[in-house]
Amino acid sequence: MLQRDIFIGEINKYLEKDKSIFFLSADFGAQALDELRKSFPNNFLHCGISEQAMLDIATGLALEGNKVFVYAMAPFLALRSIEQAKCGAGLMNLPICLISVGVGLGYADAGPTHYTTEDFACFRSIVGSSIYTPADSTSTKLIANELLEKPKFSYIRLDRDALPNISPEITKVDLNRGYRVFGKINNDKIVLISHGRMLHKCLEIYSNKSERFVCVDILRSKPFPRDLPKDFSSCKGIIVVDEQSPSGNLSSCVFEAFSEQNYFPKIISKSLPERYVFENGGREYLLNKFGLSNVDIIQACEKII
Amino acid sequence: MKKINDLENLAKKYRRDLFEKLLIIKQGHPGSIFSMIDIVVALYHGGFINYDSKKNLFLNKVLISKGHATAALYPIIRDFGILPKKEWDNWGHKESLLRVFGNISIPGIDVTSGSLGHCIGVGAGMAVSLKKSGQNKKIFVIISEGELYEGSTWEALLFAKHNKLDNLSIIIDINSLIILGNTRDCLNLDPIKDKISGLGINALEVDGHNFSELISIFNKANKKGELNCILAKTVKGKGSSIMENKKNWHYWNPMSKEEIEKTRKELG
Repeated sequence: MLQRDIFIGEINKYLEKDKSIFFLSADFGAQALDELRKSFPNNFLHCGISEQAMLDIATGLALEGNKVFVYAMAPFLALRSIEQAKCGAGLMNLPICLISVGVGLGYADAGPTHYTTEDFACFRSIVGSSIYTPADSTSTKLIANELLEKPKFSYIRLDRDALPNISPEITKVDLNRGYRVFGKINNDKIVLISHGRMLHKCLEIYSNKSERFVCVDILRSKPFPRDLPKDFSSCKGIIVVDEQSPSGNLSSCVFEAFSEQNYFPKIISKSLPERYVFENGGREYLLNKFGLSNVDIIQACEKII
Repeated sequence: MKKINDLENLAKKYRRDLFEKLLIIKQGHPGSIFSMIDIVVALYHGGFINYDSKKNLFLNKVLISKGHATAALYPIIRDFGILPKKEWDNWGHKESLLRVFGNISIPGIDVTSGSLGHCIGVGAGMAVSLKKSGQNKKIFVIISEGELYEGSTWEALLFAKHNKLDNLSIIIDINSLIILGNTRDCLNLDPIKDKISGLGINALEVDGHNFSELISIFNKANKKGELNCILAKTVKGKGSSIMENKKNWHYWNPMSKEEIEKTRKELG
Protein backbone atom coordinates (compact mmCIF):
# COMPACT_ATOMS: atom_id res chain seq x y z
CA MET A 1 0.00 0.00 0.00
CA LEU A 2 1.24 3.48 -0.83
CA GLN A 3 2.37 5.61 2.09
CA ARG A 4 -0.04 8.38 1.04
CA ASP A 5 -3.00 5.98 1.19
CA ILE A 6 -1.95 4.78 4.62
CA PHE A 7 -1.58 8.32 5.97
CA ILE A 8 -4.83 9.63 4.50
CA GLY A 9 -6.59 6.39 5.48
CA GLU A 10 -5.80 7.18 9.11
CA ILE A 11 -7.20 10.70 8.65
CA ASN A 12 -10.38 9.14 7.22
CA LYS A 13 -10.75 6.97 10.32
CA TYR A 14 -10.18 9.98 12.57
CA LEU A 15 -12.74 12.08 10.71
CA GLU A 16 -15.44 9.65 11.85
CA LYS A 17 -15.06 11.07 15.36
CA ASP A 18 -13.48 14.51 14.92
CA LYS A 19 -14.72 16.93 12.30
CA SER A 20 -12.32 19.76 13.17
CA ILE A 21 -9.99 18.58 10.44
CA PHE A 22 -9.49 20.23 7.08
CA PHE A 23 -7.65 18.42 4.29
CA LEU A 24 -6.33 20.67 1.52
CA SER A 25 -4.93 19.48 -1.78
CA ALA A 26 -3.16 21.39 -4.53
CA ASP A 27 -4.64 19.05 -7.13
CA PHE A 28 -2.73 16.01 -5.95
CA GLY A 29 -4.62 12.75 -5.52
CA ALA A 30 -4.68 9.35 -3.85
CA GLN A 31 -7.12 6.50 -3.63
CA ALA A 32 -7.70 7.26 0.05
CA LEU A 33 -8.27 10.90 -0.83
CA ASP A 34 -11.09 9.88 -3.17
CA GLU A 35 -12.69 8.19 -0.16
CA LEU A 36 -12.16 11.28 2.01
CA ARG A 37 -13.74 13.56 -0.59
CA LYS A 38 -16.69 11.23 -0.93
CA SER A 39 -17.32 10.58 2.76
CA PHE A 40 -16.28 13.97 4.20
CA PRO A 41 -16.84 16.62 1.52
CA ASN A 42 -17.13 19.37 4.15
CA ASN A 43 -13.63 18.65 5.36
CA PHE A 44 -11.94 18.81 1.98
CA LEU A 45 -10.81 21.91 0.10
CA HIS A 46 -9.40 21.90 -3.41
CA CYS A 47 -7.01 24.84 -3.56
CA GLY A 48 -6.21 24.60 -7.25
CA ILE A 49 -2.63 24.15 -8.37
CA SER A 50 -1.72 26.92 -5.95
CA GLU A 51 0.60 25.68 -3.25
CA GLN A 52 1.30 29.18 -1.91
CA ALA A 53 -2.35 30.10 -1.43
CA MET A 54 -2.99 26.63 -0.02
CA LEU A 55 -0.56 27.29 2.83
CA ASP A 56 -2.11 30.73 3.48
CA ILE A 57 -5.61 29.23 3.51
CA ALA A 58 -4.33 26.55 5.89
CA THR A 59 -3.03 29.34 8.14
CA GLY A 60 -6.46 30.95 8.30
CA LEU A 61 -8.13 27.61 9.05
CA ALA A 62 -5.61 26.87 11.79
CA LEU A 63 -6.06 30.34 13.32
CA GLU A 64 -9.75 29.44 13.66
CA GLY A 65 -8.81 26.37 15.71
CA ASN A 66 -8.85 23.59 13.10
CA LYS A 67 -6.38 20.76 12.54
CA VAL A 68 -5.09 21.25 9.02
CA PHE A 69 -3.39 18.86 6.60
CA VAL A 70 -2.03 20.18 3.31
CA TYR A 71 -1.09 17.78 0.59
CA ALA A 72 0.90 18.07 -2.64
CA MET A 73 3.76 16.68 -4.63
CA ALA A 74 6.98 17.15 -2.65
CA PRO A 75 8.98 19.60 -4.82
CA PHE A 76 6.12 22.07 -5.05
CA LEU A 77 4.88 21.85 -1.49
CA ALA A 78 8.31 22.07 0.06
CA LEU A 79 9.97 24.67 -2.08
CA ARG A 80 7.30 26.79 -3.72
CA SER A 81 5.35 27.46 -0.55
CA ILE A 82 8.16 27.50 1.99
CA GLU A 83 7.80 31.20 2.83
CA GLN A 84 4.07 30.73 3.44
CA ALA A 85 4.92 27.85 5.79
CA LYS A 86 7.38 30.09 7.64
CA CYS A 87 5.04 33.08 7.96
CA GLY A 88 1.97 31.03 8.87
CA ALA A 89 2.64 27.76 10.68
CA GLY A 90 6.14 28.85 11.72
CA LEU A 91 5.71 32.41 12.99
CA MET A 92 2.31 31.77 14.55
CA ASN A 93 3.08 28.24 15.79
CA LEU A 94 0.05 26.67 14.12
CA PRO A 95 -0.87 22.97 13.90
CA ILE A 96 -0.48 22.61 10.15
CA CYS A 97 0.83 19.32 8.83
CA LEU A 98 2.39 19.29 5.37
CA ILE A 99 2.18 15.93 3.63
CA SER A 100 4.81 15.85 0.92
CA VAL A 101 4.82 12.97 -1.55
CA GLY A 102 7.66 11.76 -3.74
CA VAL A 103 10.84 12.84 -1.95
CA GLY A 104 14.27 12.15 -3.41
CA LEU A 105 14.25 10.77 -6.93
CA GLY A 106 10.78 9.29 -6.38
CA TYR A 107 9.44 10.76 -9.60
CA ALA A 108 12.08 9.17 -11.83
CA ASP A 109 12.13 9.63 -14.83
CA ALA A 110 10.21 12.90 -14.68
CA GLY A 111 13.43 14.89 -14.35
CA PRO A 112 14.83 17.49 -11.96
CA THR A 113 11.71 19.67 -11.74
CA HIS A 114 9.94 16.76 -10.07
CA TYR A 115 12.83 15.44 -7.99
CA THR A 116 12.97 16.65 -4.41
CA THR A 117 16.57 16.48 -3.42
CA GLU A 118 16.72 19.63 -1.32
CA ASP A 119 13.44 19.64 0.64
CA PHE A 120 15.07 18.28 3.76
CA ALA A 121 17.67 21.05 3.92
CA CYS A 122 15.08 23.72 3.17
CA PHE A 123 12.45 22.58 5.62
CA ARG A 124 14.74 21.85 8.51
CA SER A 125 15.81 25.50 8.38
CA ILE A 126 12.26 26.66 9.16
CA VAL A 127 12.08 27.35 12.89
CA GLY A 128 9.46 25.36 14.77
CA SER A 129 8.98 22.61 12.20
CA SER A 130 9.15 18.89 12.96
CA ILE A 131 10.23 16.52 10.20
CA TYR A 132 9.23 12.88 9.80
CA THR A 133 10.39 10.45 7.11
CA PRO A 134 8.69 7.07 7.49
CA ALA A 135 10.39 4.05 5.97
CA ASP A 136 7.43 1.68 5.99
CA SER A 137 3.67 1.32 6.43
CA THR A 138 3.63 0.84 10.18
CA SER A 139 5.69 3.93 10.86
CA THR A 140 3.55 5.95 8.42
CA LYS A 141 0.46 4.89 10.35
CA LEU A 142 2.00 5.67 13.73
CA ILE A 143 3.17 9.11 12.61
CA ALA A 144 -0.28 9.90 11.17
CA ASN A 145 -1.98 8.99 14.44
CA GLU A 146 0.54 10.89 16.50
CA LEU A 147 -0.14 14.06 14.49
CA LEU A 148 -3.90 13.56 14.55
CA GLU A 149 -3.83 13.29 18.34
CA LYS A 150 -1.25 16.00 18.91
CA PRO A 151 -1.28 18.26 15.86
CA LYS A 152 1.73 20.51 15.35
CA PHE A 153 3.65 22.25 12.59
CA SER A 154 5.15 19.28 10.82
CA TYR A 155 6.57 18.25 7.48
CA ILE A 156 5.97 14.62 6.49
CA ARG A 157 8.18 13.18 3.77
CA LEU A 158 6.42 10.29 2.06
CA ASP A 159 7.84 8.09 -0.65
CA ARG A 160 6.13 7.86 -4.00
CA ASP A 161 6.39 4.07 -3.94
CA ALA A 162 4.99 1.50 -1.55
CA LEU A 163 7.84 0.56 0.80
CA PRO A 164 7.99 -2.97 2.26
CA ASN A 165 7.26 -3.35 5.95
CA ILE A 166 10.24 -3.68 8.23
CA SER A 167 10.54 -6.29 10.92
CA PRO A 168 10.48 -6.00 13.88
CA GLU A 169 7.69 -3.44 13.75
CA ILE A 170 8.22 0.05 15.00
CA THR A 171 6.86 0.82 18.46
CA LYS A 172 5.48 3.96 20.08
CA VAL A 173 8.64 4.10 22.19
CA ASP A 174 10.68 4.30 18.97
CA LEU A 175 8.45 7.05 17.66
CA ASN A 176 8.70 9.03 20.88
CA ARG A 177 12.49 8.96 20.88
CA GLY A 178 12.59 9.55 17.11
CA TYR A 179 14.58 6.53 15.94
CA ARG A 180 14.84 2.76 16.00
CA VAL A 181 17.91 0.56 15.99
CA PHE A 182 18.63 -2.67 14.18
CA GLY A 183 21.47 -4.64 15.80
CA LYS A 184 23.58 -4.05 18.88
CA ILE A 185 26.24 -1.41 19.07
CA ASN A 186 29.88 -2.05 20.07
CA ASN A 187 33.26 -0.43 19.37
CA ASP A 188 33.91 -2.48 16.24
CA LYS A 189 30.70 -1.73 14.45
CA ILE A 190 29.89 0.82 11.80
CA VAL A 191 26.55 2.58 12.13
CA LEU A 192 24.44 3.09 9.01
CA ILE A 193 22.03 5.98 9.55
CA SER A 194 19.23 6.73 7.12
CA HIS A 195 15.50 7.28 6.69
CA GLY A 196 12.71 6.59 4.18
CA ARG A 197 13.53 4.56 1.13
CA MET A 198 17.31 4.61 1.61
CA LEU A 199 16.90 2.88 4.95
CA HIS A 200 16.00 -0.28 3.04
CA LYS A 201 19.39 -0.26 1.31
CA CYS A 202 21.09 0.14 4.68
CA LEU A 203 19.03 -2.69 6.13
CA GLU A 204 20.08 -4.94 3.25
CA ILE A 205 23.75 -4.23 3.97
CA TYR A 206 23.21 -4.74 7.69
CA SER A 207 21.33 -8.03 7.18
CA ASN A 208 24.20 -9.43 5.14
CA LYS A 209 26.85 -8.50 7.70
CA SER A 210 25.17 -7.90 11.02
CA GLU A 211 28.44 -8.62 12.85
CA ARG A 212 29.92 -5.54 11.19
CA PHE A 213 27.03 -3.08 11.08
CA VAL A 214 24.26 -1.49 13.10
CA CYS A 215 21.43 0.26 11.29
CA VAL A 216 19.46 3.26 12.55
CA ASP A 217 16.14 4.49 11.16
CA ILE A 218 15.66 8.20 11.87
CA LEU A 219 11.89 8.57 11.95
CA ARG A 220 11.92 12.09 13.26
CA SER A 221 14.90 14.04 12.05
CA LYS A 222 13.71 17.33 13.58
CA PRO A 223 13.93 17.80 16.47
CA PHE A 224 16.85 15.42 16.08
CA PRO A 225 16.76 12.56 18.62
CA ARG A 226 18.68 13.87 21.62
CA ASP A 227 19.81 10.50 22.96
CA LEU A 228 21.25 9.25 19.70
CA PRO A 229 24.77 10.74 19.84
CA LYS A 230 25.44 9.34 23.31
CA ASP A 231 24.08 5.91 22.37
CA PHE A 232 26.41 5.67 19.36
CA SER A 233 29.42 7.61 20.60
CA SER A 234 31.54 4.48 20.92
CA CYS A 235 31.02 3.12 17.39
CA LYS A 236 33.80 2.67 14.88
CA GLY A 237 32.29 5.16 12.47
CA ILE A 238 29.06 6.40 10.96
CA ILE A 239 27.78 6.42 7.38
CA VAL A 240 24.75 8.66 6.76
CA VAL A 241 22.84 7.72 3.63
CA ASP A 242 20.35 10.21 2.17
CA GLU A 243 18.69 10.57 -1.23
CA GLN A 244 19.29 14.32 -1.15
CA SER A 245 21.80 16.87 -2.41
CA PRO A 246 25.02 17.15 -0.40
CA SER A 247 24.19 20.41 1.39
CA GLY A 248 22.12 20.26 4.56
CA ASN A 249 20.91 16.67 4.25
CA LEU A 250 20.46 14.15 7.08
CA SER A 251 24.23 13.96 7.57
CA SER A 252 24.25 17.65 8.58
CA CYS A 253 21.85 16.85 11.44
CA VAL A 254 24.09 13.98 12.52
CA PHE A 255 27.27 16.11 12.39
CA GLU A 256 25.58 18.89 14.36
CA ALA A 257 24.01 16.62 16.98
CA PHE A 258 27.22 14.70 17.69
CA SER A 259 29.47 17.75 17.82
CA GLU A 260 27.03 19.68 20.02
CA GLN A 261 27.35 16.90 22.57
CA ASN A 262 31.14 16.72 22.18
CA TYR A 263 31.24 13.39 20.37
CA PHE A 264 33.45 13.24 17.32
CA PRO A 265 33.20 9.84 15.61
CA LYS A 266 34.22 9.53 11.98
CA ILE A 267 31.13 10.44 9.94
CA ILE A 268 30.83 9.99 6.18
CA SER A 269 27.94 11.45 4.16
CA LYS A 270 26.62 9.41 1.24
CA SER A 271 24.23 11.52 -0.80
CA LEU A 272 23.46 12.52 -4.36
CA PRO A 273 26.05 14.74 -6.06
CA GLU A 274 25.92 18.53 -6.37
CA ARG A 275 24.24 18.52 -9.76
CA TYR A 276 20.79 18.19 -11.33
CA VAL A 277 19.87 14.74 -12.59
CA PHE A 278 18.64 14.75 -16.19
CA GLU A 279 19.47 11.13 -16.98
CA ASN A 280 16.78 8.50 -17.39
CA GLY A 281 16.71 4.83 -16.47
CA GLY A 282 14.58 4.60 -13.36
CA ARG A 283 15.20 5.40 -9.70
CA GLU A 284 17.39 2.41 -8.89
CA TYR A 285 19.52 3.05 -11.97
CA LEU A 286 19.96 6.67 -10.98
CA LEU A 287 20.81 5.80 -7.37
CA ASN A 288 23.44 3.35 -8.59
CA LYS A 289 24.82 5.82 -11.11
CA PHE A 290 25.08 8.66 -8.61
CA GLY A 291 26.84 6.97 -5.73
CA LEU A 292 24.03 5.46 -3.70
CA SER A 293 24.33 1.77 -4.60
CA ASN A 294 24.94 -0.83 -1.90
CA VAL A 295 28.49 -1.18 -3.24
CA ASP A 296 29.07 2.58 -2.91
CA ILE A 297 27.85 2.50 0.68
CA ILE A 298 30.05 -0.48 1.55
CA GLN A 299 33.04 1.25 -0.08
CA ALA A 300 32.43 4.26 2.17
CA CYS A 301 32.69 1.89 5.13
CA GLU A 302 36.14 0.83 3.92
CA LYS A 303 37.27 4.44 4.31
CA ILE A 304 36.37 4.27 7.97
CA ILE A 305 38.23 1.03 8.49
CA MET B 1 -21.93 54.49 14.96
CA LYS B 2 -20.19 57.83 15.32
CA LYS B 3 -21.03 60.89 13.18
CA ILE B 4 -18.91 61.64 10.13
CA ASN B 5 -17.42 64.66 11.87
CA ASP B 6 -16.42 62.49 14.85
CA LEU B 7 -14.80 59.95 12.55
CA GLU B 8 -12.78 62.67 10.85
CA ASN B 9 -11.62 64.01 14.21
CA LEU B 10 -10.67 60.54 15.40
CA ALA B 11 -8.62 59.90 12.25
CA LYS B 12 -6.86 63.22 12.77
CA LYS B 13 -6.12 62.34 16.40
CA TYR B 14 -4.77 58.90 15.45
CA ARG B 15 -2.53 60.35 12.75
CA ARG B 16 -1.12 62.76 15.30
CA ASP B 17 -0.69 60.04 17.96
CA LEU B 18 1.12 57.81 15.50
CA PHE B 19 3.28 60.64 14.19
CA GLU B 20 4.49 61.38 17.72
CA LYS B 21 5.30 57.70 18.24
CA LEU B 22 7.18 57.35 14.95
CA LEU B 23 9.06 60.53 15.83
CA ILE B 24 10.32 58.77 18.96
CA ILE B 25 11.12 55.38 17.46
CA LYS B 26 12.52 56.95 14.26
CA GLN B 27 11.28 54.09 12.13
CA GLY B 28 8.05 52.72 10.71
CA HIS B 29 6.04 53.42 7.59
CA PRO B 30 4.15 56.71 7.95
CA GLY B 31 3.18 56.97 4.28
CA SER B 32 1.42 53.59 4.30
CA ILE B 33 -0.14 54.10 7.74
CA PHE B 34 -1.60 57.49 6.84
CA SER B 35 -2.99 56.23 3.55
CA MET B 36 -5.17 53.62 5.23
CA ILE B 37 -6.02 55.18 8.59
CA ASP B 38 -9.38 56.59 7.43
CA ILE B 39 -10.36 53.13 6.20
CA VAL B 40 -9.73 51.46 9.56
CA VAL B 41 -11.36 54.31 11.49
CA ALA B 42 -14.47 53.88 9.33
CA LEU B 43 -14.42 50.11 9.92
CA TYR B 44 -13.92 50.13 13.69
CA HIS B 45 -15.75 53.32 14.67
CA GLY B 46 -18.31 53.13 11.87
CA GLY B 47 -19.90 50.05 13.40
CA PHE B 48 -18.59 47.35 11.07
CA ILE B 49 -16.40 45.56 13.60
CA ASN B 50 -18.66 44.18 16.32
CA TYR B 51 -17.21 44.65 19.78
CA ASP B 52 -18.18 42.50 22.75
CA SER B 53 -17.64 44.80 25.73
CA LYS B 54 -18.23 42.01 28.26
CA LYS B 55 -15.50 39.83 26.79
CA ASN B 56 -13.47 42.84 25.64
CA LEU B 57 -12.89 41.48 22.17
CA PHE B 58 -13.86 42.12 18.59
CA LEU B 59 -16.21 39.57 17.04
CA ASN B 60 -15.15 40.30 13.47
CA LYS B 61 -11.56 40.13 12.34
CA VAL B 62 -9.42 42.62 10.47
CA LEU B 63 -6.27 41.30 8.81
CA ILE B 64 -3.74 43.91 7.79
CA SER B 65 -1.94 42.22 4.95
CA LYS B 66 0.24 45.29 4.40
CA GLY B 67 1.81 44.47 7.76
CA HIS B 68 4.12 47.49 7.68
CA ALA B 69 1.01 49.61 8.34
CA THR B 70 -0.53 47.50 11.12
CA ALA B 71 0.44 50.26 13.56
CA ALA B 72 -2.59 52.16 12.21
CA LEU B 73 -4.67 49.83 14.41
CA TYR B 74 -2.73 50.43 17.62
CA PRO B 75 -4.46 53.66 18.76
CA ILE B 76 -7.85 52.17 17.80
CA ILE B 77 -7.42 49.00 19.85
CA ARG B 78 -5.99 51.15 22.64
CA ASP B 79 -9.13 53.30 22.69
CA PHE B 80 -11.40 50.25 22.72
CA GLY B 81 -9.45 49.08 25.76
CA ILE B 82 -8.26 45.88 24.11
CA LEU B 83 -4.64 46.99 24.06
CA PRO B 84 -3.57 48.01 27.58
CA LYS B 85 -2.78 51.74 27.60
CA LYS B 86 0.48 50.90 29.33
CA GLU B 87 1.67 49.09 26.18
CA TRP B 88 0.92 52.13 24.04
CA ASP B 89 2.63 54.48 26.52
CA ASN B 90 5.68 52.24 26.76
CA TRP B 91 6.13 51.95 23.00
CA GLY B 92 9.25 53.87 22.13
CA HIS B 93 10.31 54.27 25.76
CA LYS B 94 10.38 50.89 27.51
CA GLU B 95 9.76 47.25 26.68
CA SER B 96 6.39 47.04 24.91
CA LEU B 97 4.37 44.48 23.00
CA LEU B 98 4.08 46.90 20.11
CA ARG B 99 6.26 46.60 17.05
CA VAL B 100 6.50 48.37 13.70
CA PHE B 101 4.99 45.20 12.20
CA GLY B 102 1.98 43.68 13.95
CA ASN B 103 1.82 40.17 15.30
CA ILE B 104 -0.66 37.97 17.17
CA SER B 105 1.01 38.48 20.55
CA ILE B 106 -0.58 41.97 20.52
CA PRO B 107 -4.18 41.88 21.83
CA GLY B 108 -6.56 42.83 19.02
CA ILE B 109 -4.17 41.96 16.20
CA ASP B 110 -5.50 38.90 14.38
CA VAL B 111 -2.54 37.93 12.21
CA THR B 112 1.23 38.15 12.15
CA SER B 113 2.01 39.93 8.90
CA GLY B 114 4.78 41.78 7.16
CA SER B 115 5.57 39.62 4.18
CA LEU B 116 3.21 40.73 1.42
CA GLY B 117 0.60 38.67 -0.39
CA HIS B 118 -0.49 36.35 2.40
CA CYS B 119 -3.65 37.67 3.98
CA ILE B 120 -6.33 37.16 1.35
CA GLY B 121 -5.49 33.45 1.63
CA VAL B 122 -5.43 33.61 5.43
CA GLY B 123 -8.74 35.49 5.45
CA ALA B 124 -10.24 33.00 3.01
CA GLY B 125 -9.23 30.13 5.30
CA MET B 126 -10.85 31.89 8.27
CA ALA B 127 -13.97 32.69 6.24
CA VAL B 128 -14.36 29.04 5.13
CA SER B 129 -14.04 27.86 8.71
CA LEU B 130 -16.61 30.39 9.98
CA LYS B 131 -19.06 29.49 7.23
CA LYS B 132 -18.74 25.74 7.77
CA SER B 133 -19.21 26.12 11.50
CA GLY B 134 -22.23 28.39 10.97
CA GLN B 135 -20.74 31.43 12.69
CA ASN B 136 -22.09 34.76 11.57
CA LYS B 137 -18.82 36.69 11.69
CA LYS B 138 -16.98 38.68 9.08
CA ILE B 139 -13.37 38.88 7.99
CA PHE B 140 -11.95 42.10 6.56
CA VAL B 141 -8.60 41.97 4.78
CA ILE B 142 -6.74 45.15 3.89
CA ILE B 143 -4.03 44.79 1.27
CA SER B 144 -1.84 47.31 -0.48
CA GLU B 145 -2.09 47.59 -4.23
CA GLY B 146 1.56 46.45 -4.32
CA GLU B 147 0.33 43.06 -3.14
CA LEU B 148 -1.37 42.65 -6.49
CA TYR B 149 2.11 41.89 -7.80
CA GLU B 150 2.17 38.72 -5.65
CA GLY B 151 0.85 35.60 -7.38
CA SER B 152 -0.56 34.23 -4.12
CA THR B 153 -2.97 37.20 -4.01
CA TRP B 154 -4.61 36.10 -7.25
CA GLU B 155 -4.54 32.41 -6.24
CA ALA B 156 -6.43 33.31 -3.09
CA LEU B 157 -8.93 35.54 -4.92
CA LEU B 158 -9.80 32.59 -7.20
CA PHE B 159 -10.33 30.41 -4.15
CA ALA B 160 -12.46 33.00 -2.35
CA LYS B 161 -14.66 33.53 -5.40
CA HIS B 162 -15.08 29.79 -6.05
CA ASN B 163 -16.07 29.18 -2.45
CA LYS B 164 -18.58 32.09 -2.44
CA LEU B 165 -17.02 33.70 0.62
CA ASP B 166 -19.53 36.49 1.21
CA ASN B 167 -18.28 36.78 4.79
CA LEU B 168 -14.94 38.02 3.47
CA SER B 169 -14.38 41.65 2.43
CA ILE B 170 -11.18 42.64 0.72
CA ILE B 171 -10.08 46.27 0.74
CA ILE B 172 -7.26 47.36 -1.56
CA ASP B 173 -5.48 50.52 -0.43
CA ILE B 174 -4.54 52.07 -3.76
CA ASN B 175 -2.11 54.91 -3.09
CA SER B 176 -0.34 54.34 -6.42
CA LEU B 177 3.14 54.30 -4.89
CA ILE B 178 5.56 51.49 -4.20
CA ILE B 179 9.11 51.84 -2.88
CA LEU B 180 10.72 52.68 -6.22
CA GLY B 181 8.01 54.93 -7.56
CA ASN B 182 4.58 55.08 -9.16
CA THR B 183 3.06 51.69 -9.96
CA ARG B 184 2.22 52.91 -13.46
CA ASP B 185 5.90 53.59 -14.14
CA CYS B 186 7.39 50.63 -12.28
CA LEU B 187 5.07 47.86 -13.50
CA ASN B 188 1.58 48.90 -14.44
CA LEU B 189 -1.27 47.29 -12.51
CA ASP B 190 -4.11 49.11 -14.25
CA PRO B 191 -6.91 48.57 -14.87
CA ILE B 192 -7.26 47.05 -11.40
CA LYS B 193 -11.07 47.16 -11.40
CA ASP B 194 -11.31 45.23 -14.66
CA LYS B 195 -8.88 42.62 -13.42
CA ILE B 196 -10.82 42.03 -10.20
CA SER B 197 -14.19 42.12 -11.97
CA GLY B 198 -12.79 39.71 -14.54
CA LEU B 199 -12.62 37.09 -11.79
CA GLY B 200 -16.34 37.59 -11.20
CA ILE B 201 -15.71 39.47 -7.96
CA ASN B 202 -17.84 42.51 -7.13
CA ALA B 203 -15.39 45.45 -7.38
CA LEU B 204 -16.51 48.64 -5.62
CA GLU B 205 -14.61 51.91 -5.96
CA VAL B 206 -14.37 54.47 -3.17
CA ASP B 207 -12.44 57.54 -2.08
CA GLY B 208 -10.44 56.07 0.80
CA HIS B 209 -10.41 59.38 2.68
CA ASN B 210 -14.10 60.23 2.39
CA PHE B 211 -15.95 58.89 5.44
CA SER B 212 -19.44 59.22 3.95
CA GLU B 213 -18.35 57.17 0.94
CA LEU B 214 -16.49 54.64 3.08
CA ILE B 215 -19.51 54.06 5.34
CA SER B 216 -21.82 53.72 2.37
CA ILE B 217 -19.52 51.26 0.56
CA PHE B 218 -19.03 49.13 3.70
CA ASN B 219 -22.81 48.95 4.07
CA LYS B 220 -23.09 47.87 0.45
CA ALA B 221 -20.36 45.26 0.89
CA ASN B 222 -22.04 43.91 4.02
CA LYS B 223 -24.88 42.40 1.99
CA LYS B 224 -24.88 38.63 1.86
CA GLY B 225 -24.37 36.54 -1.22
CA GLU B 226 -21.39 38.22 -2.82
CA LEU B 227 -17.65 38.37 -2.41
CA ASN B 228 -16.70 42.04 -2.42
CA CYS B 229 -13.47 43.77 -3.18
CA ILE B 230 -13.33 47.46 -2.30
CA LEU B 231 -10.87 49.54 -4.30
CA ALA B 232 -10.02 52.47 -2.04
CA LYS B 233 -8.23 55.31 -3.79
CA THR B 234 -5.91 56.86 -1.25
CA VAL B 235 -2.99 59.26 -0.89
CA LYS B 236 0.25 57.96 0.54
CA GLY B 237 1.16 60.03 3.60
CA LYS B 238 -2.32 61.64 3.69
CA GLY B 239 -2.50 64.58 6.09
CA SER B 240 1.10 65.75 5.93
CA SER B 241 2.18 67.88 2.98
CA ILE B 242 5.77 66.75 3.57
CA MET B 243 4.79 63.11 3.14
CA GLU B 244 1.85 63.17 0.73
CA ASN B 245 2.50 61.33 -2.54
CA LYS B 246 6.21 61.00 -1.72
CA LYS B 247 7.65 57.58 -2.33
CA ASN B 248 10.51 58.10 0.12
CA TRP B 249 7.97 58.51 2.94
CA HIS B 250 7.19 54.81 2.69
CA TYR B 251 9.83 54.68 5.43
CA TRP B 252 10.54 57.12 8.21
CA ASN B 253 12.89 59.96 7.27
CA PRO B 254 14.84 62.35 9.50
CA MET B 255 12.94 65.64 9.95
CA SER B 256 14.11 69.15 10.82
CA LYS B 257 12.49 70.99 13.75
CA GLU B 258 10.59 73.14 11.26
CA GLU B 259 9.28 70.07 9.40
CA ILE B 260 8.18 68.50 12.66
CA GLU B 261 6.29 71.61 13.70
CA LYS B 262 4.74 71.98 10.26
CA THR B 263 3.56 68.35 10.31
CA ARG B 264 2.17 68.73 13.84
CA LYS B 265 0.23 71.77 12.72
CA GLU B 266 -1.16 70.04 9.64
CA LEU B 267 -2.16 66.95 11.58
CA GLY B 268 -4.01 69.18 14.04
